Amino acid sequence: MSTTRHLINRQRRLASASRGAAPGTAPPAPGAAEAPPSGRRGRRSGPDARGSGTPPAKPPGRAGRGPAALRGGRRLPVLLCLLSAVLGAFAAYGAERAHDLRDRPAVRNTALTDTARTSEAGGAATRAVEAVFSYDFADPEALDRAVAAHLTGAAVEQHAELLAAVREQGPRQRLVLTTTVTDSAVERVEGDRARVLVYADQSSTRTAAEGAAGDTGKAGAGTGGAAPRDATTYAAAMLAADLVRKGGSWRIAALDTLGAGS
Amino acid sequence: MARTTRNPVLAAALALAALAAAAACWGGWSWYAAAHDDAAAFAHTREEVLAAGRQAVRNLNTLDHRDLRRGLDGWEDSATGDLHDQLADGRAAFEKQIREAGTVTEASVLSAAVTELDERAGKARVLVALRITVTAPEGEPVRKESRMIAALTRTAGGWKLSALGQAPVGGTAAE
Repeated sequence: MSTTRHLINRQRRLASASRGAAPGTAPPAPGAAEAPPSGRRGRRSGPDARGSGTPPAKPPGRAGRGPAALRGGRRLPVLLCLLSAVLGAFAAYGAERAHDLRDRPAVRNTALTDTARTSEAGGAATRAVEAVFSYDFADPEALDRAVAAHLTGAAVEQHAELLAAVREQGPRQRLVLTTTVTDSAVERVEGDRARVLVYADQSSTRTAAEGAAGDTGKAGAGTGGAAPRDATTYAAAMLAADLVRKGGSWRIAALDTLGAGS
Repeated sequence: MARTTRNPVLAAALALAALAAAAACWGGWSWYAAAHDDAAAFAHTREEVLAAGRQAVRNLNTLDHRDLRRGLDGWEDSATGDLHDQLADGRAAFEKQIREAGTVTEASVLSAAVTELDERAGKARVLVALRITVTAPEGEPVRKESRMIAALTRTAGGWKLSALGQAPVGGTAAE
């Protein structure tokens, strides 16, 4: 409490000093008559004398609390309230600006800025795409395991559609499909969601006697026509994968074949 | 103590002012911090690179035989360094070739993302998935998807392409 009082006293001293009255030259026993109409100086001499805590000044100080001092007692709170309003407005403006700056889409997207998350999402997309777009007629269940491990939501159905032909014709054609991600780029990371653009190469080998030229059904991949027996064909594919992070691991929630292969 | 109890209005006003001052400090600080956030600055550069990369790759895959000058000016304007020199050197021959073929090539970006960005070196690498439509004087337009890999370099005139190529396809079936 005393610090507050000192603060007030100091403000008053400064106020009066700025009006040309050196603090030391203040009248020892101020009277109401000496206070100017502004009340500023009167306030200084009266309460300040009391405020300094010197006992001899106390009685005159109390006596000096005239109308001017009372007026000053109201004026200071008003000034303080105005100051509070200005400061409060600045605080609100600053907070608003900060929020604006942080809420921009570019800033919310932490691709490359959050390096750990970016490489995590990119790596997960690469592993997932390689796993769910690879097939071996000798172990068709591996595909189901890959789907369970790497896909979730709508991606499961999309994948089933994309690989329907492979699942159907794979065993007959003795098909081995190997997908290798050659490049990937993280478009967006926002919390537990990410989008990754993936370039992949797909080689498919058919060793079936009939050598049917079945479409591998791979996203964005054209098989480049009929495959001769024991032939390996290569196809280029590109797709975008939307990933979600659940329980510490990223899974593909949606596949975007970028309108290719349709 | 006695004094403040005698003037509760003043005490309340002081408390309010102190609170407001603290809030102002916090507001100012968070504004400053948000405006000088390194990650935010990097994110803005990344967006700038991505936008430049998309546009430049699109430009270099767009050409109308009826307006070769503007098209090829756009090509040169999108490139820098060796790529720019190559384009400038080959311009006359290429112009003749396209004029004879009479093709219109249009490109649209399907998806794009920055893979690497070195702000200090002013280098970046961007993947751009493109759909290119080529329309010859006769016959149906031919559509194909293209997996472009672009290298960008920062210049006085913004980020420009310093190299552009297609992602290679494995095995013998390379395009």
